[in-house]
Amino acid sequence: MEAAGKGGLVLGNLAEVVERVLGFLPTKALLRAACVCRLWRECARRILRTRQRLAWVSALEPGPPGGHALLQALAHELERVHVLPQTVLYIADAETFSGHEECHEQKKARKRNSKETAVAIEKLLPKRCQVLGLLTPGIVVTPMGSSSNQPQEIEDGEAGFALLFPKIDGVKIQTFHFPKEVKNRVIDENKFAEAGLKNNPDLRVVLLFGYNSWKSGATRFLHQIVNPLNEKSIILAGGQVESFTSLISENNSAQPSDACGVVGLAFSGPQIQSATVLLDQDVADERTAEAAMQRLKAANIPEWNTIGFMFACVGRGYRHYKTKRNMEADAFRKFFPNVPLFGFFGHGEIGCDRIVTGNFVLRECNDVKDDLLHGYTTVMTLIHLGSTKANQA
Amino acid sequence: MKRAELTSSGLTTQAIAVAEWENIRMSLSEKNSVVFAYESSVHSTNVLLSLDDQRKQDILCDVTILVEDQRFRAHKAVLAACSSYFLSRIVGQLDADLIITLPEEVTLKGFSPLLQFAYTAKLILNKDNVSEVCKCAEFLGVRNIEESCFQFLKFKFLDCKSDQQECPRKKCCTQHCRKVNPKISNVDDGDLEIDDEAEELLEKEYIQTSHTKLCKDDENAKASSALQDNTNQTSDPVHLEKGSVSSSSSQCPKYRKFQKAFGNDKVHASDSSSSTKDVQVPPVVTFIEKEIPENDSTPKAQDCVPMQLVSKCEETQVKMEEGEEDIEKKEDSVTQSVSCPVEKMDVAAFPQKTAAPHGLNSVSFLRTCEQYGNLNFSSMQSTTILSEKTVTGTGSESDKMESHDSATLKVDLCAREAVNVASTGDRSSVEREVAEHLAKGFWSDIYSTEAGQIHLPSAVPKERLEPVYSGKKSECPWLGIRISESPEPCSQRTFTTLNSVNCPFISNLSTEGCSNSSEISSGDFVQGQQQEQCPYNYVISLGEDSETDTEGDSESCSAREQECEVKLPFNAQRIISLSRNDFQSFLKMHKLTPEQLDCIHDIRRRSKNRIAAQRCRKRKLDCIQNLESEIEKLQNEKENLLKERNLILSTLGETKQNLTGLCQQVCKEAALSHEQIQILAKYSSSDCPLSFLFPERERTAPSESELVAPATAELVDGLSSVAPTNEQSSCYQCVKGVCDATYDQGQELHPGSVRTLEKTSLAEQCGQSGAITDFCQQMTDKCTTDE
Repeated sequence: MEAAGKGGLVLGNLAEVVERVLGFLPTKALLRAACVCRLWRECARRILRTRQRLAWVSALEPGPPGGHALLQALAHELERVHVLPQTVLYIADAETFSGHEECHEQKKARKRNSKETAVAIEKLLPKRCQVLGLLTPGIVVTPMGSSSNQPQEIEDGEAGFALLFPKIDGVKIQTFHFPKEVKNRVIDENKFAEAGLKNNPDLRVVLLFGYNSWKSGATRFLHQIVNPLNEKSIILAGGQVESFTSLISENNSAQPSDACGVVGLAFSGPQIQSATVLLDQDVADERTAEAAMQRLKAANIPEWNTIGFMFACVGRGYRHYKTKRNMEADAFRKFFPNVPLFGFFGHGEIGCDRIVTGNFVLRECNDVKDDLLHGYTTVMTLIHLGSTKANQA
Repeated sequence: MKRAELTSSGLTTQAIAVAEWENIRMSLSEKNSVVFAYESSVHSTNVLLSLDDQRKQDILCDVTILVEDQRFRAHKAVLAACSSYFLSRIVGQLDADLIITLPEEVTLKGFSPLLQFAYTAKLILNKDNVSEVCKCAEFLGVRNIEESCFQFLKFKFLDCKSDQQECPRKKCCTQHCRKVNPKISNVDDGDLEIDDEAEELLEKEYIQTSHTKLCKDDENAKASSALQDNTNQTSDPVHLEKGSVSSSSSQCPKYRKFQKAFGNDKVHASDSSSSTKDVQVPPVVTFIEKEIPENDSTPKAQDCVPMQLVSKCEETQVKMEEGEEDIEKKEDSVTQSVSCPVEKMDVAAFPQKTAAPHGLNSVSFLRTCEQYGNLNFSSMQSTTILSEKTVTGTGSESDKMESHDSATLKVDLCAREAVNVASTGDRSSVEREVAEHLAKGFWSDIYSTEAGQIHLPSAVPKERLEPVYSGKKSECPWLGIRISESPEPCSQRTFTTLNSVNCPFISNLSTEGCSNSSEISSGDFVQGQQQEQCPYNYVISLGEDSETDTEGDSESCSAREQECEVKLPFNAQRIISLSRNDFQSFLKMHKLTPEQLDCIHDIRRRSKNRIAAQRCRKRKLDCIQNLESEIEKLQNEKENLLKERNLILSTLGETKQNLTGLCQQVCKEAALSHEQIQILAKYSSSDCPLSFLFPERERTAPSESELVAPATAELVDGLSSVAPTNEQSSCYQCVKGVCDATYDQGQELHPGSVRTLEKTSLAEQCGQSGAITDFCQQMTDKCTTDE
């Protein structure tokens, strides 16, 4: 009785002890614990504020029936992650995301189904979190756990990943969506500004994803978006995806299924450093791929608190490397042993060779306007999210 | 959560309010001392811009910088602020109009971008100047330039070079070595000052190659003199000879020796020398180290770097000799050439050791070389079958073992040399060319290993080495631009032809073709050789490539395209890669004959078609796959539905059985008479067990319930056996028919369903079984709706 009383005294008054104890909890449990009393709430807030490290959930193979593997993995893992996601980028393979059941009426059933899965995923995530979901033909994913796990290129089969960006001091991540509108041909400048793509000196990296690229005028539209952005000293990377499924930050009235458009993430913050390289068609064996990685390595981007993105063409992968699987991901791992790699196989890539850090920008400057849209290439991008101090937890 | 935030924010606002109030109280007293700061974000750039304008208009410029005889006007303050070197040079100078002459380490090419950077914060880097700019920036101590950008670009440019370097090397050899050779001898006769020579040769187009050669010669001379000093320690006959060579003539010992080796055609202590050299190279380096301070020409700061270079040179010499031996052996007998790889292994071990801390780089480099070596398989195949055998043997080994890579590489390289020599008809005239081949080959090799050593603060080697590269770069065949700028029809032909193809194998072929064409400019049998090689390479690609790739390649490999492209002044790759508008303007730029235009359009159309076809194929495959999965899903669904149906039918049967039992019981309990039962049977529906039951009952004893059960069981069996065969509908119709018949028979002509009739009839007599009948009705309803 007395011991229990003492324990209560300690846990009710000593913030240091409480903080240390609560520090072991994953976020969801922490939030529950925050409801206990004021002290605990304050401790929980402080702990949450220190958790500024990127987390991710990945699904590499189909789970038990009932929903997409990513959905199941998320449902399971969100209980255990140590961050409070503020921005989520999830990418799943287009083929299985729509679900197995009930496909009588082909297209309609499929669309509805993928929407359902997307809604289910969004429900799992915190309410005020920005979500961008993409469907692509293939997935590149680093298994959960350590960031030094071997990344896998999954060109077909059920797979997916979700990157959970917490609130990071000095880094602002915004999602944006520019659907192609029939009425006004010129893109609204205000929307650019709203998305932080304009009048934003801290803008460093923009990941762009075009969807429904097979539509007529989609490429021109993408050019319209990319070209003004390319004039800035920022890293542009991305690709053409099959479709996008969720985007909570925007109003969902816009029908994404029929029109083409561009979605993306804008990373701004003075501490962000980034570099990108383009592996073109000639890069077709281990040596050249490694040379490209070496180039990326030479950009000298810090390797902690850094994410690697790989946007490849569906035409690459093991067929391109003479049936050697996982070639590019392995090359990346060889040079960057501790950087998690994510990405997809899409229908086209956006990228170039460029370095952007707080101190300098290195970019190509040709007289001919350089084209960022490519095909049959791979874009490798490193994004360093700055030196957060208390992220060792 | 929400509530919690609200309260906490309330708390903080309260606290803030208190603090503010206190602030106000405080600031009231010192209100007059408030300071505002205005900060302009554009000021710094604008200042720099106006300074740049001043520089361009030569306003207020107070310093003149002399770089390679060119004058640059600038501001002292700006230069001093940007560079630690200028700071130290300018501070303390009272001269109003100062003239600073920069040492020769700073080149024009490297300096002018840096000056521009000082005034614009923008550094324009390209393939040609990146290494020089890097070196100059280092020398001048320019601030705010990060090393990593140079590294990045170096890798980028090295990247494309590594594929191509062998080919241009060959080219410039054949084309210019005659020009260069006499120059070398002239210059060497004079003195070993590199810069003087450089200036002498400045106007020449191929200055870079010759320049580097001179550097090399210098280094060689130094190395050999060092060796000479140490001959007592290294009692190797070859070294002695080398020493004597270097002392007897100012010509490069390498060439001299080579000539000697050829002239005498003797194998002089090859084995022993090759084995001892490996051991001796490191001590030699240390000796040179000691000597260098005495060699006044090299500045102190760069002491260690030349040494490394020297050691590298030493290596090249070693390798050179190996090569010679190799050649000689090849000529003598094949058995000797088989023993050759063992020696190479020894030698190869050394460069690997030197590059040990930078294993990755060296490995990757070795690989490029290895690949290159492999290319020579086919050329060797056509010339000497035996040598090919040895090389392919080692080549296959190299695939397995990384450690063997280097060894085989050397073998291949040497073998290449051997073939070069063997294939050239007149030895005496080509001798020098071959020597240069060797020298260059090894030289560039060394360069790559050295370039791998990132952290090496090597000013001198880089400076001396990069000309080799720039020389090559200007003729880099894969970059269509370069070639179109300076088309050299004679040796380039074959290579452009083959270059049109994207396949790496074919491009390998192209380098190979180039090497061949450069090898023997007079020999006719190159043509034959190439025709042989083409299928050979193609076979390789077939073996390893995926199906679609080879399809594309085989198409593009067509003879016609090759022929056409021969005449084109630019690369086919370019034709393909350009966008439509660019392509049009590109065509306008070049003056082309109608045939050529046709050909270009043809190539473009083909490649576009190819790409489109590839896409189409992919799409189709996807579509097929989709449909297949759809079919599978539908089949699964069908199976599921059938199963469900069976299940339902069996439950129906069970219910019926239950019902029968109940009916029986009810009848028994109520003790109905025979007539009553008959009437009941009449009114009840056909599929109600009663109707089946009672006629039977009529026949048998009315109280016998044992027979009833099997009968109903039979019925159930019958139903369920019918069900899977999809003929249930007919069965049901039949049942319905019976039902209708009874209905007609019955006096009741109720328009409602038969079920109600059944229900009412049942309800009359067995009220307690209402629930069951309800269920039964549901079931039957379900069945009928299924129909």
